[in-house]
Amino acid sequence: MFQEHRSWLQLQIVLLICRFTPKCPEVTRILSLGMEKELPLITRIKVRIHFLMCSFCERYMKQLKYIRQVSREFPEKIGEVSNAALPPDAKERIKSALRS
Amino acid sequence: MSSQPGATDARVGKAAIEREQTVTINDPSRWVDEHGDILYRYALERVRKPDVAQDLVQETFLAGVRTQERFRGGSTVRSWLCGILKHKICDYYRKLGRETSFTDLEFLSDECAEKFVPEGYWVHMNGPKEWKPEADEVMHRDEFWKTMRDCLAKLPERVATVFMMREMDEVESKEICANLSISEGNLWVMLHRARMALRECLALNWFENPEVLH
Repeated sequence: MFQEHRSWLQLQIVLLICRFTPKCPEVTRILSLGMEKELPLITRIKVRIHFLMCSFCERYMKQLKYIRQVSREFPEKIGEVSNAALPPDAKERIKSALRS
Repeated sequence: MSSQPGATDARVGKAAIEREQTVTINDPSRWVDEHGDILYRYALERVRKPDVAQDLVQETFLAGVRTQERFRGGSTVRSWLCGILKHKICDYYRKLGRETSFTDLEFLSDECAEKFVPEGYWVHMNGPKEWKPEADEVMHRDEFWKTMRDCLAKLPERVATVFMMREMDEVESKEICANLSISEGNLWVMLHRARMALRECLALNWFENPEVLH
């Protein structure tokens, strides 16, 4: 994250952001928490500022949202890609349970 | 009574269709042949045990028979049965939650140490890369769903259970905690680790896998 060419001023700004915003492991934790409940405004601001210097975490957030979206489609897709089948004896058992 | 023959035909036709639908709905043993495998596959992904999955499918059909007068069309028989199955899965875990602990804080407890440098930033080479999913296109590819299934299967059972309840059944955090008797803090930790591991697995095996042609 520091190897890009930056001027002295830009470096100082990055260092300042580093001091006042959470580090990446903490940001990933906060981003997951943000999918469970609304985060305090100050936390959301800190995360936004963190994104200014960390595109990894910003991508991480987008990808979590994408995973949420595809997870919702999973139940109907799994029937198409799995080839598990009810064993014949289980089918018979269920049918006779339904008749009784 | 209409004297027009055309109207009579239409009425007869409509009655035939209704009779046909009634037969399909009223003949549950046909449900087993038509929808049994699909329901079983989903149940098996969720509970991982064939005997439990079979029991859940059976309970789903039995509940379907008991409540079929409530089925008003509007959706297909299959999606109606799937809805019942999801409830049965939740019930199953609710019972299990009373007997066993669903908390699993061991999984990924080192928080993917190799992903972050000690100062607390992503290791440059290992940080998340841009995913270029042509979302709609990717979603229709069977291989993607197989990758997703394999990645979910790699999660430890309890972690997978809470993740799937949250993201597939769309149950709210508080309800999951109440159902499974786990604390909210522990649920958050488990969801965080499930998401991190799943993201990593999908990146490696799909989005950043050079062998997958997007």
